[in-house]
Amino acid sequence: MSLLSALSISASGMSAQRQRTELLVENLANSDTTRTPEGGPYRRKDAVFVSDPSAAQFSSLFESEMNSGSGVRVSEVITDKRDPEKRYLPGHPDADKDGYVAYPRMNPAEDMVDLLGASRGYQANVSAVSAVKDMIQKSLDLFK
Amino acid sequence: MFQGIALNSEHYMSLLSARQKLVASNIANADTPGYHTQDINFRAEFESALAGETSTEPTVMEPEGLVAKPDGNNVNIDREARLLAENSMRFSIASNFARAELNSVKTAIQESK
Repeated sequence: MSLLSALSISASGMSAQRQRTELLVENLANSDTTRTPEGGPYRRKDAVFVSDPSAAQFSSLFESEMNSGSGVRVSEVITDKRDPEKRYLPGHPDADKDGYVAYPRMNPAEDMVDLLGASRGYQANVSAVSAVKDMIQKSLDLFK
Repeated sequence: MFQGIALNSEHYMSLLSARQKLVASNIANADTPGYHTQDINFRAEFESALAGETSTEPTVMEPEGLVAKPDGNNVNIDREARLLAENSMRFSIASNFARAELNSVKTAIQESK
Protein backbone atom coordinates (compact mmCIF):
# COMPACT_ATOMS: atom_id res chain seq x y z
CA MET A 1 0.00 0.00 0.00
CA SER A 2 2.31 2.71 -1.23
CA LEU A 3 -0.05 5.61 -0.49
CA LEU A 4 -0.05 4.89 3.22
CA SER A 5 3.74 4.61 3.33
CA ALA A 6 3.90 7.92 1.41
CA LEU A 7 2.15 9.39 4.45
CA SER A 8 4.82 7.91 6.75
CA ILE A 9 7.56 9.36 4.55
CA SER A 10 6.05 12.84 4.67
CA ALA A 11 5.57 12.51 8.42
CA SER A 12 9.28 11.67 8.82
CA GLY A 13 10.09 14.79 6.76
CA MET A 14 7.89 16.94 8.98
CA SER A 15 9.46 15.54 12.12
CA ALA A 16 13.01 16.13 10.81
CA GLN A 17 12.24 19.73 9.83
CA ARG A 18 10.62 20.32 13.21
CA GLN A 19 13.73 19.04 15.03
CA ARG A 20 15.85 21.37 12.88
CA THR A 21 13.55 24.28 13.71
CA GLU A 22 13.93 23.53 17.43
CA LEU A 23 17.72 23.74 17.12
CA LEU A 24 17.54 26.99 15.13
CA VAL A 25 15.20 28.57 17.66
CA GLU A 26 17.55 27.44 20.44
CA ASN A 27 20.40 29.16 18.59
CA LEU A 28 18.49 32.42 18.32
CA ALA A 29 17.46 32.29 21.97
CA ASN A 30 21.04 31.69 23.07
CA SER A 31 22.71 34.21 20.81
CA ASP A 32 24.00 36.15 23.84
CA THR A 33 24.58 33.25 26.24
CA THR A 34 28.08 33.43 27.71
CA ARG A 35 27.75 30.61 30.20
CA THR A 36 26.80 26.96 29.54
CA PRO A 37 26.98 23.75 31.63
CA GLU A 38 29.82 22.54 29.35
CA GLY A 39 31.72 25.75 30.05
CA GLY A 40 32.37 28.66 27.74
CA PRO A 41 29.81 30.45 25.60
CA TYR A 42 26.93 28.78 23.78
CA ARG A 43 27.86 27.21 20.45
CA ARG A 44 25.60 27.21 17.43
CA LYS A 45 23.92 23.85 16.66
CA ASP A 46 22.61 22.48 13.39
CA ALA A 47 21.01 19.23 12.25
CA VAL A 48 22.36 16.87 9.59
CA PHE A 49 19.75 14.93 7.64
CA VAL A 50 20.16 11.41 6.33
CA SER A 51 17.69 9.43 4.24
CA ASP A 52 16.17 6.57 6.19
CA PRO A 53 14.45 3.68 4.38
CA SER A 54 12.95 2.36 7.62
CA ALA A 55 10.89 5.55 8.03
CA ALA A 56 8.90 4.46 4.99
CA GLN A 57 7.83 1.21 6.56
CA PHE A 58 4.18 1.02 7.30
CA SER A 59 3.64 -2.55 8.40
CA SER A 60 6.83 -4.57 8.24
CA LEU A 61 10.51 -4.39 7.52
CA PHE A 62 10.04 -6.85 4.69
CA GLU A 63 7.64 -4.51 2.98
CA SER A 64 10.03 -1.62 3.32
CA GLU A 65 12.78 -3.72 1.75
CA MET A 66 10.50 -4.49 -1.17
CA ASN A 67 9.37 -0.94 -1.70
CA SER A 68 11.38 2.02 -2.81
CA GLY A 69 11.35 5.53 -1.45
CA SER A 70 12.79 6.49 1.86
CA GLY A 71 12.00 8.88 4.66
CA VAL A 72 14.41 11.15 6.44
CA ARG A 73 15.78 11.52 9.94
CA VAL A 74 18.25 13.66 11.83
CA SER A 75 21.50 11.68 11.89
CA GLU A 76 23.49 14.00 14.11
CA VAL A 77 23.53 17.43 15.67
CA ILE A 78 26.68 19.32 14.80
CA THR A 79 28.10 22.03 17.03
CA ASP A 80 29.82 25.05 15.61
CA LYS A 81 33.61 24.76 16.14
CA ARG A 82 34.43 28.37 15.30
CA ASP A 83 36.19 30.45 17.95
CA PRO A 84 33.87 32.60 20.08
CA GLU A 85 33.58 36.29 19.45
CA LYS A 86 35.45 38.45 21.99
CA ARG A 87 33.75 41.57 23.26
CA TYR A 88 35.39 44.07 25.58
CA LEU A 89 33.19 44.25 28.68
CA PRO A 90 35.44 44.62 31.73
CA GLY A 91 32.57 44.68 34.23
CA HIS A 92 31.03 41.42 33.04
CA PRO A 93 31.25 38.44 35.48
CA ASP A 94 32.48 36.18 32.64
CA ALA A 95 35.20 38.56 31.51
CA ASP A 96 38.76 37.19 31.32
CA LYS A 97 41.73 38.96 32.89
CA ASP A 98 41.98 41.36 29.92
CA GLY A 99 38.31 42.29 30.23
CA TYR A 100 37.10 40.35 27.18
CA VAL A 101 33.95 38.22 27.25
CA ALA A 102 33.51 35.24 24.88
CA TYR A 103 30.18 35.51 23.07
CA PRO A 104 28.71 32.91 20.72
CA ARG A 105 29.78 33.51 17.12
CA MET A 106 26.29 33.88 15.77
CA ASN A 107 24.98 35.47 12.63
CA PRO A 108 21.25 36.07 13.12
CA ALA A 109 20.75 36.28 9.33
CA GLU A 110 22.15 32.75 8.95
CA ASP A 111 19.70 31.38 11.49
CA MET A 112 16.73 33.31 10.14
CA VAL A 113 17.40 32.04 6.61
CA ASP A 114 17.74 28.45 7.86
CA LEU A 115 14.56 28.90 9.87
CA LEU A 116 12.76 30.02 6.72
CA GLY A 117 14.13 27.01 4.87
CA ALA A 118 12.98 24.64 7.61
CA SER A 119 9.55 26.25 7.66
CA ARG A 120 9.16 25.95 3.87
CA GLY A 121 10.41 22.36 4.01
CA TYR A 122 7.77 21.58 6.62
CA GLN A 123 5.08 23.20 4.44
CA ALA A 124 6.18 21.16 1.41
CA ASN A 125 5.75 17.97 3.45
CA VAL A 126 2.33 19.11 4.65
CA SER A 127 1.30 19.70 1.02
CA ALA A 128 2.48 16.20 0.16
CA VAL A 129 0.40 14.79 3.03
CA SER A 130 -2.73 16.58 1.86
CA ALA A 131 -2.23 15.51 -1.78
CA VAL A 132 -1.80 11.87 -0.73
CA LYS A 133 -4.74 12.15 1.65
CA ASP A 134 -6.91 13.34 -1.26
CA MET A 135 -5.83 10.33 -3.30
CA ILE A 136 -6.70 7.94 -0.49
CA GLN A 137 -10.06 9.67 -0.11
CA LYS A 138 -10.69 9.27 -3.85
CA SER A 139 -10.00 5.53 -3.55
CA LEU A 140 -12.38 5.27 -0.62
CA ASP A 141 -15.05 7.11 -2.61
CA LEU A 142 -15.03 4.21 -5.07
CA PHE A 143 -16.98 2.24 -2.47
CA LYS A 144 -19.82 4.75 -2.43
CA MET B 1 -13.53 -8.09 -11.52
CA PHE B 2 -12.55 -4.96 -13.39
CA GLN B 3 -12.50 -5.02 -17.17
CA GLY B 4 -11.62 -2.61 -19.96
CA ILE B 5 -11.24 0.99 -18.91
CA ALA B 6 -11.59 0.23 -15.21
CA LEU B 7 -8.87 -2.43 -15.31
CA ASN B 8 -6.53 0.00 -17.04
CA SER B 9 -7.36 2.72 -14.56
CA GLU B 10 -6.59 0.29 -11.75
CA HIS B 11 -3.07 -0.20 -13.15
CA TYR B 12 -2.82 3.52 -13.71
CA MET B 13 -3.83 4.34 -10.14
CA SER B 14 -1.43 1.86 -8.57
CA LEU B 15 1.40 3.24 -10.67
CA LEU B 16 0.43 6.79 -9.72
CA SER B 17 0.48 5.91 -6.03
CA ALA B 18 3.93 4.33 -6.40
CA ARG B 19 5.11 7.52 -8.08
CA GLN B 20 3.47 9.73 -5.47
CA LYS B 21 5.36 7.82 -2.78
CA LEU B 22 8.66 8.62 -4.51
CA VAL B 23 7.62 12.28 -4.78
CA ALA B 24 6.87 12.31 -1.04
CA SER B 25 10.29 10.75 -0.44
CA ASN B 26 11.99 13.40 -2.60
CA ILE B 27 10.22 16.22 -0.75
CA ALA B 28 11.08 14.73 2.66
CA ASN B 29 14.74 14.46 1.58
CA ALA B 30 14.92 17.93 -0.01
CA ASP B 31 17.55 18.94 2.60
CA THR B 32 19.42 15.62 2.87
CA PRO B 33 23.05 15.92 1.70
CA GLY B 34 23.91 13.56 -1.16
CA TYR B 35 20.33 12.46 -1.81
CA HIS B 36 19.38 11.84 -5.46
CA THR B 37 15.90 12.38 -6.87
CA GLN B 38 14.00 9.13 -7.47
CA ASP B 39 11.32 8.53 -10.07
CA ILE B 40 9.83 5.81 -12.24
CA ASN B 41 9.65 5.67 -16.03
CA PHE B 42 5.88 6.07 -16.06
CA ARG B 43 5.27 5.35 -19.71
CA ALA B 44 7.41 2.20 -19.82
CA GLU B 45 5.91 0.87 -16.57
CA PHE B 46 2.35 1.55 -17.69
CA GLU B 47 2.93 -0.09 -21.06
CA SER B 48 4.34 -3.21 -19.42
CA ALA B 49 1.35 -3.27 -17.05
CA LEU B 50 -1.02 -3.02 -20.03
CA ALA B 51 0.87 -5.82 -21.77
CA GLY B 52 -0.08 -7.98 -18.81
CA GLU B 53 3.29 -8.22 -17.15
CA THR B 54 2.53 -8.61 -13.48
CA SER B 55 5.64 -7.16 -11.93
CA THR B 56 5.04 -6.35 -8.30
CA GLU B 57 7.01 -3.15 -8.01
CA PRO B 58 7.97 -0.60 -10.66
CA THR B 59 11.69 -0.07 -11.23
CA VAL B 60 13.04 3.05 -9.58
CA MET B 61 15.42 5.22 -11.57
CA GLU B 62 17.17 8.52 -11.06
CA PRO B 63 16.01 11.14 -13.58
CA GLU B 64 18.72 12.89 -15.57
CA GLY B 65 19.26 16.58 -16.18
CA LEU B 66 18.75 17.74 -12.59
CA VAL B 67 21.31 20.17 -11.21
CA ALA B 68 22.97 19.04 -7.99
CA LYS B 69 23.55 21.51 -5.15
CA PRO B 70 27.03 21.75 -3.57
CA ASP B 71 26.04 19.13 -0.95
CA GLY B 72 25.29 16.58 -3.70
CA ASN B 73 21.50 16.82 -3.34
CA ASN B 74 19.66 17.23 -6.65
CA VAL B 75 16.04 17.59 -5.50
CA ASN B 76 14.25 20.32 -7.44
CA ILE B 77 11.33 21.29 -5.22
CA ASP B 78 9.42 22.91 -8.12
CA ARG B 79 9.57 19.69 -10.10
CA GLU B 80 8.31 17.74 -7.09
CA ALA B 81 5.50 20.21 -6.41
CA ARG B 82 4.38 19.92 -10.03
CA LEU B 83 4.46 16.12 -9.91
CA LEU B 84 2.61 16.11 -6.59
CA ALA B 85 -0.27 18.13 -8.05
CA GLU B 86 -0.20 16.30 -11.37
CA ASN B 87 -0.32 12.82 -9.79
CA SER B 88 -3.17 13.87 -7.56
CA MET B 89 -5.22 15.19 -10.51
CA ARG B 90 -4.49 12.19 -12.70
CA PHE B 91 -5.49 9.91 -9.84
CA SER B 92 -8.76 11.80 -9.51
CA ILE B 93 -9.52 11.34 -13.23
CA ALA B 94 -8.70 7.62 -13.09
CA SER B 95 -10.78 7.07 -9.97
CA ASN B 96 -13.74 8.75 -11.69
CA PHE B 97 -13.38 6.34 -14.62
CA ALA B 98 -13.25 3.38 -12.24
CA ARG B 99 -16.26 4.66 -10.35
CA ALA B 100 -18.25 5.06 -13.56
CA GLU B 101 -17.51 1.44 -14.43
CA LEU B 102 -18.51 0.29 -10.95
CA ASN B 103 -21.70 2.33 -11.13
CA SER B 104 -22.71 0.66 -14.37
CA VAL B 105 -22.28 -2.75 -12.70
CA LYS B 106 -24.34 -1.49 -9.76
CA THR B 107 -27.07 -0.25 -12.09
CA ALA B 108 -27.17 -3.62 -13.82
CA ILE B 109 -27.65 -5.32 -10.45
CA GLN B 110 -30.30 -2.93 -9.18
CA GLU B 111 -32.37 -2.74 -12.37
CA SER B 112 -32.76 -6.50 -12.42
CA LYS B 113 -34.71 -6.45 -9.17
